[in-house]
Amino acid sequence: MEVIVVLLPLALLLGAFFIFAFIWSARKGQYDDLETPRFRMLLDDQKISKSTPTSIKDGK
Amino acid sequence: MVHMKSCVHCDEIAISALFNEDDVEKLQAFCCYGCLTVYNIIHQKGLESYYDIKKQSGLYKRRSPVEIKSSQFQFLDDPEFLAEYSYLSSYGEKTMEFYLEGIHCLACLWLIEKLPEFLSTVISSKLDLERSVATVVLKENGKFSEVGREFNNLGYRPHPLRKNQDAASLKVKEERLALIRIGVAGAAAGNIMIYAVSLYGGAEDTFAQLFNSLTVAFAVPVFTFSAFPFYQNAWNALKNKTLSIDIPISLALIVGGVMGVYNLANGIPENYFDSLTTLVFLLLMSRYFLQKIQEKGLSAQDLHFFYQSESVLKADELNPSEFKEIHPKYIKVNDLLKIRPGEFIPADGLVITGSSNLNNSLLTGESLPVKVSVGQKVFSGTQNIDHDLVIKAEKTQEETRLGSILKNVENGWAHRSHIVDLTSKVSKYFTLAVFVLSIILFVYLYQAGDTKFALEQAITLLIVTCPCALALATPLTFTRALSKASEQGIIIKSDEVIEKMAKIKNIFLDKTGTITHGKLQITDFRVLQEPIVRIEDVIFNLEKNSQHPVAIALREYVKPANCRTFIVADHLEILGKGVSGTIENNFYEINRDGVFENSIKIATFLIEDTVRSDSKKALKDIHQHGINVQVLSGDNSAAVVKIAAAINLPTSNALSNLSPEEKSQLIKSTPFSMMVGDGANDAIALTSADVGVAVLGAMDISLRAADVYLTTPGLAPVEKLITLSEETMKVIHRNLVLSLAYNSLSVTAAFMGLINPLVAAIIMPLSSLTVLISTVVGTKKLRSLWKS
Repeated sequence: MEVIVVLLPLALLLGAFFIFAFIWSARKGQYDDLETPRFRMLLDDQKISKSTPTSIKDGK
Repeated sequence: MVHMKSCVHCDEIAISALFNEDDVEKLQAFCCYGCLTVYNIIHQKGLESYYDIKKQSGLYKRRSPVEIKSSQFQFLDDPEFLAEYSYLSSYGEKTMEFYLEGIHCLACLWLIEKLPEFLSTVISSKLDLERSVATVVLKENGKFSEVGREFNNLGYRPHPLRKNQDAASLKVKEERLALIRIGVAGAAAGNIMIYAVSLYGGAEDTFAQLFNSLTVAFAVPVFTFSAFPFYQNAWNALKNKTLSIDIPISLALIVGGVMGVYNLANGIPENYFDSLTTLVFLLLMSRYFLQKIQEKGLSAQDLHFFYQSESVLKADELNPSEFKEIHPKYIKVNDLLKIRPGEFIPADGLVITGSSNLNNSLLTGESLPVKVSVGQKVFSGTQNIDHDLVIKAEKTQEETRLGSILKNVENGWAHRSHIVDLTSKVSKYFTLAVFVLSIILFVYLYQAGDTKFALEQAITLLIVTCPCALALATPLTFTRALSKASEQGIIIKSDEVIEKMAKIKNIFLDKTGTITHGKLQITDFRVLQEPIVRIEDVIFNLEKNSQHPVAIALREYVKPANCRTFIVADHLEILGKGVSGTIENNFYEINRDGVFENSIKIATFLIEDTVRSDSKKALKDIHQHGINVQVLSGDNSAAVVKIAAAINLPTSNALSNLSPEEKSQLIKSTPFSMMVGDGANDAIALTSADVGVAVLGAMDISLRAADVYLTTPGLAPVEKLITLSEETMKVIHRNLVLSLAYNSLSVTAAFMGLINPLVAAIIMPLSSLTVLISTVVGTKKLRSLWKS
């Protein structure tokens, strides 16, 4: 049972780490908008193609 | 013949499709010029990926064709306006929030957030899809009018949102704090459970002491920080001498906390922290969900801010023929304002030039347009229908007729009676009973001889009988009910409404726009003599450009897609009279008496505001709930009697010629009443009723006054709402019985001396689980009920 001397503080440290990580992220406002980010991540970061004003015709 | 295609831009079926001029093969159909324009602008900007993204993503919201209104958005650059609507950072960056009309899918998100790439002054543009609110940050030299124009060109009509820095940031902070409270409680409860299981499993000596102190260490932040809202609510309730379920909960938490710490100090490895922290975690969660879903409904209340934000044209003081756009908030007395067709009049005033028809229906309930000309009074909140008007503002903002109604509405809200909800009522008897039982238990065991054991058991009783199951189930039931309602297009602003609704005995209905469509339709069209030109073509060509409601109704009746275009000579529209013109050398005239060809009457028509097809059935269904239905209208009695007959309502239940104040008085004198309406004339009545329901298309002011807002047309949702409330209250009652049964069980066990932390750790979650299952099953039944 001596192993508990190592495991217990480790478990507590891990727990404390995640609690503080959560508090930090909540304070930073990462949970303010839960709707949009799940859509935003689906969008590619491509630049818009400024040079194609004629593409009205091709129907794509 | 007509080939049905759906609009490339908005997917609406294009009845009379439009095409780009160079699109010779007619591949891309558009339903309207709005969509066509937006489509071309999107291509010019190289943003055509929009359509690919749109195709790949499911629709987020129902969408409708684009309606582009021309506006230059100059008012967005007014220093006075900026001071009130934009945030200024220390680097000179400007931020403004816009509500965007027409946001519906992933592709919109993409388009809006691409803004910095085609407008160089924009630093960032972020969209909140759920609220349809875009936050735009501009460089120092940037102009918000440019941003406004871009949004408008892309088909999203922008409405700037007034900054409300203090209230908004306070709300955000509170929300984050609530989330942290839940997180801390959850993490602590999870960790405590690990050590509690070890203790139940038989940890001994040093380990028992160590684990026990760890549970206490984890419990401290839960009992102090996370559970703080319970203490606060309980304290407020005690101070105001009202009831709240938080009182017995706080009591159990405090007693349990003190007992746990006392046991630790005395080396007894026994506490109720595993059950109590889990309870705090679950309770906070269920309340958080309820609050979230209510906020969704409440954001409808913010509507009022952006409805007001339509710009208005104001004449220059030095050069009255020059007009510039200003925000209606900054209208001053004696300003000359130009009101274009379709716009709402923003201030009470006098007509200076022009004459036009006004739609007063929202303000007074009258269904027919009223003609105004030079020298006549016009009121804020009425809509200009067909011609330009210049008015001189006499009263603005709160002084207008609309403003005074608004003030009344706000007073009504402030003086609204709040009901003591059922669970709070029960918790009063509950707390009392638990106290009495604890004392009896203490006395009983004390007489048996063991004082310490007696005290311990009495305290245990207080802890285990905490009405946690009930406190957990009630918010969750309401959450389910509110989200079920919003699935059906019914937005409920608070859970209190459901409880009130289940008691409703009288429903008052507005006529125009509620029972009827709120717009004119042709009901009886008779051709007396075949004309030379087809009659549909005559009507279409003469009425083509008129915005008068009768013209619109006639156009709709003849279906423009099937009409041929003719050249009309001497086309003339006389306000209040009708239209005339010459087609193929025959003189045609349309006025209120009918259609004339070379001065011979060839057709007659009847025009009226028709009853919605589903009104009659909906009223019958409502009646089956044992509810009395009455119609209150500001319209004349002939129109009201006719409508009453159409929906099978006795004439004695249909009241006409009522002023907004009379409506309100009548409702106030009737207990358990509900009001359904749309116009500003209903707003005071909506606040006077126990439950106010605003129907689709209601005016902003009514939305503020109402408890419930229907996003689908007609009265059918009202019946659904009543069923929903009745069923929800049934579930609540059942949960009440279940949790009381569990509590009687634990009281019996406590009297028999069977309760210890392990038993509590089984009974408490089990009771919560039972009511949760009961809630889920109950609301599932509700769904199947609606499907049938």
